[in-house]
Amino acid sequence: MRCRLLIAATFVGCVVAGADHSAARHEPVNGAIRGRVEIRQSLPDVARRPNVSDVGMPRAHDPTDRRRSVVYLETAPRAAFDQREEPHAKLDQRNETFVPHVLAIIAGTTVDFPNNDTTYHNVFSLSSIKPFDLGRYAVGRSKSITFDRPGIVRVFCDIHSHMSAFILVFSHRFFAVTDDEGRYRLDNVPPGTYTVVAWNESAPSETKRVTMPDSGGDIESNFSLGKR
Amino acid sequence: MRRLFVRLALSSVAALAPLVASAQTLPSGPATAFDGRLTVGAEVVATVGDEDDIAFFNYTDYEHNALRMFRVALAASWRPVTRFAFVTELRSEDLNQVRPYAAYVRVRPWLEHPFDIQVGRIPPSFGAFGRRAYQSDNSLIGYPLAYQYLTSLRPDAVPATVADLLIMRARGWRTTYPIGSQEAGPGVPLVSAFRWDTGIQAHWENHLVDATGGVTLGTLSDPKVDDNNGGKQISGRVAFRPVTGLVLGASAARGDFLADDVVDQLPLDSGSHAQTALGADGEYSRDHWLVRGELVWSRWNMPFASPPTSVNLDALGAWIEGRYRLTPRISLSGRVDRLGFSRIAVGPLLTPTWDAPVTRLEADAGYYLQRNLVVRLAVQYNDRDGGRVHQRTYFSGQLAYWF
Repeated sequence: MRCRLLIAATFVGCVVAGADHSAARHEPVNGAIRGRVEIRQSLPDVARRPNVSDVGMPRAHDPTDRRRSVVYLETAPRAAFDQREEPHAKLDQRNETFVPHVLAIIAGTTVDFPNNDTTYHNVFSLSSIKPFDLGRYAVGRSKSITFDRPGIVRVFCDIHSHMSAFILVFSHRFFAVTDDEGRYRLDNVPPGTYTVVAWNESAPSETKRVTMPDSGGDIESNFSLGKR
Repeated sequence: MRRLFVRLALSSVAALAPLVASAQTLPSGPATAFDGRLTVGAEVVATVGDEDDIAFFNYTDYEHNALRMFRVALAASWRPVTRFAFVTELRSEDLNQVRPYAAYVRVRPWLEHPFDIQVGRIPPSFGAFGRRAYQSDNSLIGYPLAYQYLTSLRPDAVPATVADLLIMRARGWRTTYPIGSQEAGPGVPLVSAFRWDTGIQAHWENHLVDATGGVTLGTLSDPKVDDNNGGKQISGRVAFRPVTGLVLGASAARGDFLADDVVDQLPLDSGSHAQTALGADGEYSRDHWLVRGELVWSRWNMPFASPPTSVNLDALGAWIEGRYRLTPRISLSGRVDRLGFSRIAVGPLLTPTWDAPVTRLEADAGYYLQRNLVVRLAVQYNDRDGGRVHQRTYFSGQLAYWF
């Protein structure tokens, strides 16, 4: 009798364990794609145009951080396009420099352009997806633009030719700007096979195919851009 | 030569056309080397307009027409150490010859103080437009009369009588006088925007004030590389920035105008032969508007041999211009410009102006193909109280690219 109960308990346990195992296999887990973008060429600071008309040394401006890259999924899962809020971002003007130099946003984001410098600026863009001209506005003031369509927007100052920035507008949320050491991380990526793109202003973009397994986890994908 | 120039200008426009189609591929910033210590930029400007070999309203002191010009300029700045910079610009107009438009050394003795000294062929210390004559900074195709229009005065030749001077009214593009050079040659503008003077200047600024002073070999109307009279010009400008976007400037200059070759032929005790100038300039910008204006008053002390006397010949140039950015790519500009001259006594009832006053109106429309590539169309109307042609309207187009 005791032996029959043991066999029955073992059978039930196996069935339950089997049921748990099959449940885990059918509920995929999101994971992360992370890595590093290496820029192989030196990127000199954006220089001021040599203006022979200056009667003194031109004012020093902050260096432009041109090593920032953007990593994104070329195509994203359907759920990635769901957007519940209208986000805000900021592209600051400080010491004749746009900060950050590279801004990545999702379509529908309103970007504020505060003038936190000591001089006039005139932010404008001739990009096809969002041409705009904010005009000249003084220190302490801010103007805003909402970017509705995905694409790359090159931003300039009409007064200071060495000031420039990039705004990359995405239709989904799977993008990231690299940190000081070139690292990036795309979180909450559903299982599937994706084309991951690394973009930098100074070099042709590089793509890689990455498969996120059903079990999720961290997938590492590194890029090297520019001439060796 | 003119046909050749027009062909060159048109072919350059045609050559740029494919680039325009893929405009974003053009370089947008200067080239750099040596860790950014050497920067090289350029400006290419092709302007095509009506011929003007009768009225000569837009001729410059190099006998080129400002509305029919192909100009290439290459600028470089080399800053081997923080305190020093070598700055130069080579320029060619109508592909005739390459000239150094600017070539000077800039020194900042104390790094913590915004005080600089510049030595060489330096930017003018007078007025505002002289340092803004780049097409990238000039809202219109044409130039202000005070900086471009050729008066009938020359530094290397002078009239013997008042009648000699009045015969040359409205003929500044090609004047002849009995004393000095016997060859016909162009007169001078009040201030030359096409040549810079040689000398030394000092500049200091803070958040409110900007002050520049200089000593040079030539004068505002006749800048020099080689001195022709041993005299020096002293010039200076003080600018105030009371609020962001507003600049108000005041300038003054005085220097010997006539060449020694001419003075040697004059009667003794003919006095000073200086050009004295005063200027006021202003700029205000806000939102999509930019308004600039300038006033230039110039006096030349002109000797006459018969009867032996000196007469002050005055000229006053005044202009105001505005630019409105209609869209990110389209801008509209306009300028109202007037150049007047003082009167000179010929008889008890006859006191004509010593040169013919000119009024100029110009309207431009610009389309930015790229941040640093613009196409402009302009219409310019000139009215002159003298000369063979009194009124003339010019249509011109321009393609300007810079980096």
